[in-house]
Amino acid sequence: MTKKTLSAISLVLVLVLSSYGFAKLGDIVFDDKAESLKKAGMSPAVFPHGKHEDIYRCVDCHPKIFKDKRGANDINMQKNMSGEFCGNEACHNSPKAFPLYQCAKCHIDKKVK
Amino acid sequence: MKSCYGVKFTIRVISLVVMVVFIGYTGLKTTSAAEPVSPAKEKDKSPVVVPTAAQPEEKPSTSSILDPKDPKSIIYLNTKGELAGTGDPNKSGSPSEAYRIGSGWHPAALAGAGLPKDKYGLVNWAKIVKDNLLTPRHSLDPSDAEDMPPLDMNILIETKSDFVNNVIYPHYIHTWWLKCEICHPKIFIPQKGANRMFMTEIAQGQWCGRCHGKVSFPLTDCTRCHVSPKKAAATPEKK
Repeated sequence: MTKKTLSAISLVLVLVLSSYGFAKLGDIVFDDKAESLKKAGMSPAVFPHGKHEDIYRCVDCHPKIFKDKRGANDINMQKNMSGEFCGNEACHNSPKAFPLYQCAKCHIDKKVK
Repeated sequence: MKSCYGVKFTIRVISLVVMVVFIGYTGLKTTSAAEPVSPAKEKDKSPVVVPTAAQPEEKPSTSSILDPKDPKSIIYLNTKGELAGTGDPNKSGSPSEAYRIGSGWHPAALAGAGLPKDKYGLVNWAKIVKDNLLTPRHSLDPSDAEDMPPLDMNILIETKSDFVNNVIYPHYIHTWWLKCEICHPKIFIPQKGANRMFMTEIAQGQWCGRCHGKVSFPLTDCTRCHVSPKKAAATPEKK
């Protein structure tokens, strides 16, 4: 192998890796129901998208469970409890993931009173 | 160095043999007192002495185990005639098979009982009461006074959120098993609106979480309590 091919391979590798880095989304804050959340004394749920990317493929959630568009999913706790969105039968309504009643795991920085 | 070590070794062996012979002559009672000294020294270098010393040691101990008046020396057999245990449960465990089965993990022991289960595979005790599958006695002592009849009173607990269903708390199923004093007034103040509960607190083991998730059905079963729909939940628009 020549030096040129080596450098080309490394360049491709760097590009691929960096693109993976860019693809990872950060945390998504669900704050569209701020009024109701305030009444309930809860802080908005924070969804760590990157953490889920490590475990699942995009198609596992999109577009079946969550439409992949900002503001397109009207999520609330009642829907989660009845098996939609986060509370899907394969997700946080199953023994695979932590249960929905562990409020503070998503509603971080909670204000209890 | 080596010759010096050898001399020391032979002196030690000879002294040990002399000691053991002497102990053997001076009767059994004194040996038990002298025992703790000799085995420690024997372990040093002379395995020859062990059998002679072990013999006088065993005699008193065997006689104490086989004392027929001691309840610990009882041997229990099961229906097949096999050894089930002894009168000393610390050594052999309980001889009762029923006890051993009962001390297992509760849901596992109940798995084959054919009782109705919830979606988590746990026994649905509420359904058992509602379907009259079980009629437990009010007390093991028949001379005890009859229980108070269950209190049929539903309490609507409104959720603070606009979306989550309200909770309907049924006194009936709770008072089927529990006395008023178990919950009132320590856990819940018996007054409307006096208990400001939060789901976060319940998850941490307060309020309903004192029992639910521990001995009663788990908090994971959200929709079993959150049953009464809110108006806001039906219409997506906020107020």
